[in-house]
Amino acid sequence: MKNLFYKTGTLALFAGALLASCEPDIDTPSSSAGTADFSTYIAVGNSLTAGYADGGLYRSGQLNSYPAILAEQFAKVGGGEFKQPLFTEAQKNGSGYLSFKGFDASGLPILEPVTTELAVRGMGLDGKTPLYTAYEEPVNNLGVPGIRMVDAKTAGYGFNNPAGFNPFYERLIGDDLTPSGALLPYVNYVDATNPTFFTMWLGNNDVLGFATSGGVAPISDADKFQENLDAMINALVGDSEAEGVVINIPDVTGVPFFTTKATANLMQMAAAAGTKLYITAANGQVREAAATDYVLLTSTVGTPEQVGPQTVPHGFSPYNPLKNNEVLDGEEVTAAQNAIATFNGKLKAAADANNLAFVDMNAFFNSVKMKDNMPQLTLNNVAYTPAFITGNLFSLDGVHLTPRGYAIVANEIIRNINAKYGASIPAVDETKYNAVLFPGLQ
Amino acid sequence: MKSRILALLGGTLLSASAMAGGYQVNLASQRQIGMGHTGTGIQTGTSSIFFNPGAMSYLQENGVTIGASALFSKIAYSAPESNEVTARTDNPVGTPFQVYAVYKINDKLAAGLGVYTPFGSTAKWGQEWSGRFGLEELSLSAIYFQPTLSYAITDKIGIGAGLTYVKGQVNLQRGIPVQDEAGNYGRAELDGDGTSVGYNLGIYIKPSEKLSLGINYRSRVDVDVEEGDATFTVAPSLKSRFPDTKFAATLPLPATLSVGLGFMPTEALTLAVDVSRVEWSAYESLRFDYADAINGSNFSENDRNYEDAYIYRIGAEYKATEALALRAGAYYDGSPVQDGYLTPETPDSDSRGLSVGLGYSVSNNIKLDASFLYINKKERTDASDKSGGIAGTYKAVAYIPGLALTYNF
Repeated sequence: MKNLFYKTGTLALFAGALLASCEPDIDTPSSSAGTADFSTYIAVGNSLTAGYADGGLYRSGQLNSYPAILAEQFAKVGGGEFKQPLFTEAQKNGSGYLSFKGFDASGLPILEPVTTELAVRGMGLDGKTPLYTAYEEPVNNLGVPGIRMVDAKTAGYGFNNPAGFNPFYERLIGDDLTPSGALLPYVNYVDATNPTFFTMWLGNNDVLGFATSGGVAPISDADKFQENLDAMINALVGDSEAEGVVINIPDVTGVPFFTTKATANLMQMAAAAGTKLYITAANGQVREAAATDYVLLTSTVGTPEQVGPQTVPHGFSPYNPLKNNEVLDGEEVTAAQNAIATFNGKLKAAADANNLAFVDMNAFFNSVKMKDNMPQLTLNNVAYTPAFITGNLFSLDGVHLTPRGYAIVANEIIRNINAKYGASIPAVDETKYNAVLFPGLQ
Repeated sequence: MKSRILALLGGTLLSASAMAGGYQVNLASQRQIGMGHTGTGIQTGTSSIFFNPGAMSYLQENGVTIGASALFSKIAYSAPESNEVTARTDNPVGTPFQVYAVYKINDKLAAGLGVYTPFGSTAKWGQEWSGRFGLEELSLSAIYFQPTLSYAITDKIGIGAGLTYVKGQVNLQRGIPVQDEAGNYGRAELDGDGTSVGYNLGIYIKPSEKLSLGINYRSRVDVDVEEGDATFTVAPSLKSRFPDTKFAATLPLPATLSVGLGFMPTEALTLAVDVSRVEWSAYESLRFDYADAINGSNFSENDRNYEDAYIYRIGAEYKATEALALRAGAYYDGSPVQDGYLTPETPDSDSRGLSVGLGYSVSNNIKLDASFLYINKKERTDASDKSGGIAGTYKAVAYIPGLALTYNF
C-alpha cells in the first residue's frame, strides 16, 4: 500500500514537474527595420542629444542619452555601432553637475556642484569657458550642448578664442587652425558623417537662451534659422538620401525651470505676508507680478534681504523687486511661444519636404502637464509630470531630462519611426533608467 | 515647501496594488478534480462537506480523507511594444490541501469536519520586471474550517449546513518609484492576517437511481485584516514620509452558488455537470487604511469592480474494475476582471481546465485518488488603466497534480 502510494505520488510529481517546465508563450510581433536602414545612425542636436543632465555633461548622462538608448534598440533591427564622445571613467564627472544633497531648513532641495573627477583640461582664451578633454575620433552622437540652429554654419564656433566659443564643440574638432579643424562649422562636421539614418533635435536653444535668461538674450532670427536648417537637412539627407527624424521644440511653460517657483504660489505667499510680488519688466519698469509671469528656478525670490532699515524677502517689495533676468514676464512668454511656433513650423516643413519622420515633442510635453491636479502620463504605475524633482522626467537643472525622461523620449521617437517607416522597433523598459536620486540622511 | 515638493512624489505611489484577481482555487477533492471539479449534484464521498453538505448524509460509512495538490503556475508577460516576453513569474509551488472527516451519527444524520483552501494566490514577479511598482510578489491564502451537519429527510432528499471559520493571510511586496543615492528603488511590504466566519448550505435530491441533482451555496466571507504590518524601505531623506505603520484591509472572498446534475446510465458510469455563479461583484475596490499617513495619505484605494462570473463544468467517472476508477473532465471559468482592470496579482482571463484522474481501492477501506489538472488561461492584453495595473499582455498556465488517501470505517 505504502509502496503504491509512493509510486503513484512519484509518478504524479514527475509528470507535474515535467509539464511544469513547459512555459507559457506569447506571440509577439517580430522586430524589423521596415524601410529604414539603421546601419549608420547619426544623432544631431544640442545638450538634450548629448545627454546633458543636472546642469552638466557627464559620463553617466552620456551613457543614458536618448540617442544611445535609440541606438541600442536600432541594434536589434540592423543598427551598427554607435560611438559617443564619452568622458573617461577617470574623468567621469565631465563638466561637473549638480548633486542632490538633502533639504535645507525651509525644505528646499540642496543642490551642490560636483567638482571632482572632472574632464576640465584648462581655461579657454576668453578667460571664462573651461576647456574639456578632447575627443577627436569620429562619433555618432554629435550632440553639442548649447548649440543653436543659427550656429550651424558659423565658422569658428568651436575655436578657442578670446571672443568666446563652444567648449563642447571645441573638444570634438581639435585646435588646428584650419577650415577642416578648429574653424569647421558644425554643418560641415555633420556633413562628413554620411549617415543612413539620423535624428535631429535642434532649435531649442534658439528660444531657450532667451527664456532662461528672463528675456535678456535674444531669440534667433527666423531667416537665419531657416537658412541654417536648410543647410543641416542638406548635410544630413545628402546624396545618399538618408532617412531620419526631425524633432521639434517643446514649450517653455511646460518645463520646471519656469514652473517650479510658481508665480501664483509666490503671489499668495506675498499676500499672506501683507504685501505683493514685484518684478522688473523688460522695459525696466517695476510692476506687480501677474500669474502670466514665470519666475525662474534660479531666482532668489523670498531670500531675506536688507532694504533700507528693513529685512524684506526678495521680490516682496517694490524697492526689492525680482530682477528682469529672474522672470520671464508675460510678454516674453508670448514672444518665446511665438518663436517656438515659427521654428516648429519650419522644422515640420523641412521634415515634410524631405519625407522624413517628424516627432512633435512640443505636443508630447504639453500632454504630460498636470490637468485638474492629476498626472496625465502613467507608465507601469509611475506618474510622470513636468514637476521639479518629483515629476521623474526632469533632472535637477529643471530643463534637461533624467535618464528616465530620456528613455521616455526615446520611446516617443521610436513610435514615430515605426509609424513612418513601417518598422517594428521595440520600446525600452523605462523603469530600468534612473529618475532623480534621493539623498541619504540630511 | 518640502511637503509641497514631496506631495507630488510619484502621484500614484501607493494607490496601486493588491490581492489577486480571480483568486479562487477550485481544488477541493482529488476525485472531483479528475472529474472537472464537478460535484454539486452527485455524491462525492467525504468531500460533500465542500461540494454539497446535503449529500453527506448518504455516505455509507465513516470516512477520513487527506489530500493535496501541487500547483505549478506560470505566467508570461510581454510589455507593450516590446516585441518579446519581457517577464515571467517565478512562482513557488502552491500546495492547496483538503482534509475531510465524516461520522455517521445514525442512518439519517451525519456530522463532518472539513479543512480546505478555496482561495489563494501566489505571484512572484521579482524586483527586476517593468511592473514592479504594481507588484513584486503576492501571497494570499485562506484556510476554511467547516464543521458540518447533514440530514437525509427521505432517501431522496438530503440537506446539510456547515459553518465556516476562515483564516486569511496576505503578504504583498512591491517597488516604490523613488530611488536612493545608489539608484535602488524603494520597497513596500504589507503583511497581515485576519479571521472571519461564513456558511455552506446544500440540498441534494436523488429522484431516481440514474439521476441526482444538487444546489450548494457557499457564503461570502470578508476577511478583515486589522493590524497588518506595513514596512517601507526608501532613501533616508524620505523615510519620514514613509513611516513603518499598521494597516487595515478587507479581502472579500465571494459567495458561490452552484447547481449540479448527476447522471448514472450504468452502474459503472457517472456523468456530472455543474454550473457555478461566483459573486465576484463583492470585490469593488482594494483599500488599505494606514495608521500613519504614507506619503501624505492615510489610505490608498484602487478600483477592482469585478463582475460576477460563471463556471461551467463537466466530468465523468468510469469504473473499469471494482477497484479502479478512471476519470476525466473539463471546465470553462469566465473571468471576473473587466477590461482596464487587469492586474499582475492574478492577471486573470477566461480559463479552460482539462483534467484526468484515477481512483484505486487498495483494500475495502483504503482508497487512493490521483488527479491531474491542466489550466490554460486565454492570452489577454489590457491597458490596465483603471486599476493601477500594469499594461501589457499576459498568458498563464498551470499544471496541478494531486493525490489523496481516504480511509473508511
